Amino acid sequence: MTVFKAFLRVLWQCKAIVLLYTVILVCFAAFQMQTEQSSIGFLADRPDILLVNQDTAEEEGKDCGLSAGLVSYLMEYCEVADITGEDAINDALFYRDISYIVTIPRHYSEEFFAYLRGETDKKPAVEVRSTGDQEASYAEMLLSRYLRVARVYGAYAENGKELANRVAETLSGQVSVEVASHLDTGGLSKAAFFYNFLNYSLLAGCIYVICLVLASFREEKIRKRTMVSSMNYRTFNRILLLSNGLFAVGLWMIYVLLSLVLVGEVLLSDQGVWYLANSFAFLLCALTMAFLFGTLVKNKNAVNGIVNVVALGSSFLCGAFVPVQMLPKSVLWIAHILPSYWYIQTNEYLKRMENVSPEALRPVLGNMGILLGFALLFIIAANGVSKRTRQIG
Amino acid sequence: MLLHNFCYALRVLFRDRMLIFWTYAFPIILGTFFSLAFSNIENSERLAVIDIAVVENEEFTASTLWKEAMAGLSKEDTEEQLFSTRYTTEGEAKELLAAKEITGYFKLSDGEAQVVVASSGMEETVLQYAVTEIAQTEKMIGQVAEYQISQGVMPTEESLKKLSEEVLGQVQQEEGIRDASNGRLSYTMVEFYTLIAMTCLYGGMLGMTVVNQNLANMSHKGKRVVVGPTKKRLVILGSTLAGYVAQLLGIALLFAYTVFVLQVDYGNRLPLIVLITLVGCLAGLAMGIAAAVLIKASENTKIGVMLSVTMLGCFLSGMMGITMKYIIDKHLPLVNRLNPANMITDGLYALYYYDTLERYWFDVISLLVFAGLLLAAAMFGLRRQKYDSI
Repeated sequence: MTVFKAFLRVLWQCKAIVLLYTVILVCFAAFQMQTEQSSIGFLADRPDILLVNQDTAEEEGKDCGLSAGLVSYLMEYCEVADITGEDAINDALFYRDISYIVTIPRHYSEEFFAYLRGETDKKPAVEVRSTGDQEASYAEMLLSRYLRVARVYGAYAENGKELANRVAETLSGQVSVEVASHLDTGGLSKAAFFYNFLNYSLLAGCIYVICLVLASFREEKIRKRTMVSSMNYRTFNRILLLSNGLFAVGLWMIYVLLSLVLVGEVLLSDQGVWYLANSFAFLLCALTMAFLFGTLVKNKNAVNGIVNVVALGSSFLCGAFVPVQMLPKSVLWIAHILPSYWYIQTNEYLKRMENVSPEALRPVLGNMGILLGFALLFIIAANGVSKRTRQIG
Repeated sequence: MLLHNFCYALRVLFRDRMLIFWTYAFPIILGTFFSLAFSNIENSERLAVIDIAVVENEEFTASTLWKEAMAGLSKEDTEEQLFSTRYTTEGEAKELLAAKEITGYFKLSDGEAQVVVASSGMEETVLQYAVTEIAQTEKMIGQVAEYQISQGVMPTEESLKKLSEEVLGQVQQEEGIRDASNGRLSYTMVEFYTLIAMTCLYGGMLGMTVVNQNLANMSHKGKRVVVGPTKKRLVILGSTLAGYVAQLLGIALLFAYTVFVLQVDYGNRLPLIVLITLVGCLAGLAMGIAAAVLIKASENTKIGVMLSVTMLGCFLSGMMGITMKYIIDKHLPLVNRLNPANMITDGLYALYYYDTLERYWFDVISLLVFAGLLLAAAMFGLRRQKYDSI
């Protein structure tokens, strides 16, 4: 009890930092999850674009029907942002708030007809600015499609409005799309995001607290007092290990509760509970890893540095912050040596697991086995290190 | 005396291993992580060739338009290639989809085109778009033929084929779209700019440490300095200069590392980049000195305040997610105008992205004002200090 009480006292000193990691997790999870929609049917993506239509009917008798048609076509398939001011537009494009800017110049509709009828050699052009990403490419497909169809129908229309109507009629309707999978991909993606980010919070929380606790108990004066006390050092070590384990499990339970609040009931589905199981296996790994660092570190001041390098490094390299699909192959190849890699790979796999069968669960159990293997390795290493450093000179 | 104190303050700084780790090594380690994690983001956001399957049933084989259109969209190593297509039976297509080897498949049944996918997403949307496009082209060719007949022109098979190729974009022609995109759109660069900002402000800890050495309430060394006959302003000036020089050395190392190893693009206006970094370091130094002088607490508390202010500033300027800077700039512009980390990040961003310099100068002047105010406050705090004998 004395050891446990001392442990609680040191733990209390770390409350601010544990709270900080939790707040970071909640903020990021809540921020990121806003964009994920929970859906089972098919939802076509709508690229975010900005439309600047300078070809409006401000002059009497001016034909701007085609431009108006183009605007309404793009509005049907894209999210059109409402941003004004050159700097605000530039920033929005840079930060991917919008992916594509379409500027329809003045007299575009009339010049389009004039060019088709051979009245001018100057081909009117719509000005675009693009980020070059998927959304921008799709927006460009939509735009060029409209212009190509308009060019074909141009020969058979009297004016812009008539042309726009014909184009709209041809381009109306979409081919039906059937979604073969019945997974709630939005909900499971949310769960994967939360549990991937948990990699950082669990690692940082466990390493910080356990290293600090062990460093406090390893201070020379305290160690000497413990050694001369009547308590068997095995009992002492066991209580310390149990206390740390209790803390780790408590931390995990708080995070699981948070995930139930933030992610929702998808976590209670057949696939969802495997996220919990996987995170528990990772917790054991984080706990033993923290033990190993705790036995290695003598200086309390170094704990912060270790937490940042280990937790941030694992999270960046294995895909906790940046989606795994976006990491370079070489980085993922190196990441195989880190437990976080196996943990995050399982979360990614669970996101797409259609049914829960022994066959489907084989990769999950395999990865969890690797995590437990890592945990065993860390325990052996920690024992080896502590054996060598037990003597006080 | 100034030089003497400057040299000793530098020695004190370089012997503090934790301080050197946080101001020199940590930004380089973090920069390496950023580079490893973000180097592929922008490439992976581009539209890649999409793996699909086409159910090769009788109806599909009988339709020249569908066959040719699909072949055109799947022609390898061309600019128009959108898909990598496998021609299969429906059963095989289902299996491929279940195994996640394809994004989706397409089949023609009873004259209707149908797309089957595993989930929603951009690639699935593009598949739907392309199939819709072919279906609409089929409809359109019929309409054009009608128009031509009504105008007394008899459409030939060849003219209609040419028309379908033109409508499907499979013929090279001027699109009537003028691309005016700025070439500098690499938003991951902002992460490295926040890293520079963090290093500039973290560098304030160097200034804080050396100033603490001269404060009687902070260290025994400080007591000795205070009772010494030297001019205090020379001692403080020597210490702060040493802090500034150590800071500049750290930032120069980081710059060299990010430019030559990580290939970060800061734009091509080197003198202006150097200027904003110098001013940024000055702001960091001012923060450090102000924290040392104005906060009457232990050194750890002062470090805590410095770290929290810096990290919060970096968070708001986009270090933990680039979008954050945009959100704050857009919705709470005042917060980022008062945030020194953002002034540095924004100045570097303005140099990289904008051709004009108004925004850059606004950031530089804001940093100077920020540094000036803190230094003035610190100076007032340091003047005529008296310690009671107790």
